Amino acid sequence: MTRKRKISDWILNGLTYLSSGIAVLMLFMVLQFVFARGFSGVNLDLLSKPYWSGNSTIEFPQFKTGSFERPAHLPDDVVFSTKLGVGLTDGLDAYKEHQVVVEYLDPDSPLRNGIISTAGVDLGKEMSLSEGSNIVNLMLKDTDGKIVNVGAQRKSTAEDTVAAMDRVSEMRKLYFKTEGGGIYGSLIATMYLIGLSLLIALPIGIAAAIYLNEYAKANKVTGLMRSSIEVLSGVPSIIFGLMGVSVLFPITQAMGIHTVSIILGALTMAVVLLPLIIRQTEESLKVVPIDLRYASLSLGATQTQTIFRVILPSALPGVLTATLLSISRIIGESAALIYTMGTFISDKPRLDQGATTLAVQIWSLMSGEQPNFELSSTISIIILAIVLTLNITVKLISHRLNKKWSV
Amino acid sequence: MDSKHISEQFQSRKKAWDKFFKGLFWVAGFLSAIFILLIIVFIVRKGISPFLPSYPGGAYPIVKFLTGFQWRQDSALYGVAFIVINTVVSALGALLISFPISVLTALFIAKIAPKQLSKIMTTIVELLAAIPSVVYGVFAAGVIVRWVDSLAGSFGLSTYGGNSLMAVSILLAIMVFPTMTSLAIVAINAVPKELTEGSLALGATKTQTNFRVVLTSAKSGIFAGLILGLGRAFGEATAVSMVAGNAMIGPTFDPFGITRTLTSTMLAGLKETQGLDYDIRFSVGIILMIVILGTNLLIHFVKRRIGGSMQ
Repeated sequence: MTRKRKISDWILNGLTYLSSGIAVLMLFMVLQFVFARGFSGVNLDLLSKPYWSGNSTIEFPQFKTGSFERPAHLPDDVVFSTKLGVGLTDGLDAYKEHQVVVEYLDPDSPLRNGIISTAGVDLGKEMSLSEGSNIVNLMLKDTDGKIVNVGAQRKSTAEDTVAAMDRVSEMRKLYFKTEGGGIYGSLIATMYLIGLSLLIALPIGIAAAIYLNEYAKANKVTGLMRSSIEVLSGVPSIIFGLMGVSVLFPITQAMGIHTVSIILGALTMAVVLLPLIIRQTEESLKVVPIDLRYASLSLGATQTQTIFRVILPSALPGVLTATLLSISRIIGESAALIYTMGTFISDKPRLDQGATTLAVQIWSLMSGEQPNFELSSTISIIILAIVLTLNITVKLISHRLNKKWSV
Repeated sequence: MDSKHISEQFQSRKKAWDKFFKGLFWVAGFLSAIFILLIIVFIVRKGISPFLPSYPGGAYPIVKFLTGFQWRQDSALYGVAFIVINTVVSALGALLISFPISVLTALFIAKIAPKQLSKIMTTIVELLAAIPSVVYGVFAAGVIVRWVDSLAGSFGLSTYGGNSLMAVSILLAIMVFPTMTSLAIVAINAVPKELTEGSLALGATKTQTNFRVVLTSAKSGIFAGLILGLGRAFGEATAVSMVAGNAMIGPTFDPFGITRTLTSTMLAGLKETQGLDYDIRFSVGIILMIVILGTNLLIHFVKRRIGGSMQ
């Protein structure tokens, strides 16, 4: 080997190492970014919190100040009002706006006994200030008989607010925003979507796979069927979105739903999933040895019995793989769902109304005037955790499946 | 006599059940196969409607749609020609970045890396493929745009916050990488052992064999990956929309200028679910399908020409 050959070989090999290094770097950078921006937001609260913060104005007809002890567990940056029993901190919301956040509320605090004073069906109902809320405006009369307004709207700091609270003689009005920025609604909508899509797609997909593998003769019609299904798997997801609102919308319309809805999204996703389920199921049907079929048939079982009692149970790991991959696909899907389920983040998703899945909530957060990177990254972490776990699980299962028949 | 009768009845009932289930399975298969036809028929029907005289509010001239170089929702100008060019340019840019890297990575995984490392790399490629497109979109809107912006800054140019043709291409390059790599791995693994052994026996080094024999023999499989990658690049929607910037006029050839792809057009400002602004998205959908199909055919054609001249 000449020296020149050696050098050129070394360079070419080095290029392949470099390319692989770039691939590793890409994965690392994506993960690093979402974790750096979103990890601080990951907590269990997020899962149960609504996205929209509620606005409430409450009054206090039976107002009495108390004298409260500052609890020892409060961090140092919390300012505590001894008269009202509330601990406040300065905070920023997702759009970097100043907030006066209720960090702690004493169980006996007078702020718990408010009644709603805004006109509407809830007028006069009891309502309590809640922890995590932002005090937008608090109007009170101080000990000098002067009306004072404090709160985030007045750019008061937590310290100013508490100082005003401790000089209170009479409460007037409290306008606060409950904590939002959660993903509860999207989480529920995602689960609805997963359940409903699989309910529709799995039976059809498995049945189609059985037809193609067990019954279909190798002729032109079967070939056409196969290639049609194959082409379907290559269709971009945004086209599936258009399909949903044109082909499937009449179906939901017949059910009396006249807008985008989770049902429409589920029908659309079912079509998206069909090729995947059919392929995975068929793969696992193929590896079931033909001897099993002969044995079953020769014992007098009908073809139907053979399929349901012998072949399908053996193909179960394939169906499981298909299910896991489908879930992963549904969780990651966005373009098709933007068309069929809309982009309005719903805190109380219903099957016959539009809602966002976790992925579409990211889209909604990012496509506004001010992209909300923090929450988007936090949701991304959740999505990645689920999707990557599912994919690794599938890999392990299929590995075992391959082993099963080769022994 | 009697028992024979029962048996016959039993047999025919069994046969009826078999027929019933066969029919049921057939219906499922038929339904799965027919959807592609339904998609085409419905989208074409709805996409063509804005150009027909019967369209409520008057037909939009189809020539203006196909040859227009402006897309303005506010003044109801819908010209798709520059968007097609933008889409093709951004996808080609992505392939230019991604194709060499994915082929080399595939070669590394299939032939060069030690077994354990090769397994790890395969997993990494699979994980990259599993990351949903919105997550890539968030990454692009947070990181890639900053790269582009600072790169432009070093040339003394300014960008619209980094939203640009280059950002779209880099994003798409990352997104099509796993597709192309996994297909290239399959193609490389399918190269017959005799070929590589023959090459080695003739005195070629391992690296020479990998680059001269393996890659050229795996050519058609690698091309298949290229087509699939191109299709994915054309069809990618949500992530692209986050960094495209949605230019109203074009075409865009300046890497730092904002662009508009077919998919970002279909997603941009989606509010109403009726009217011209909504229906014309279906027309864009038709164009998207034509572009994907057209490039596939073109590449097939080119491949055959190249393949023919090499023999």
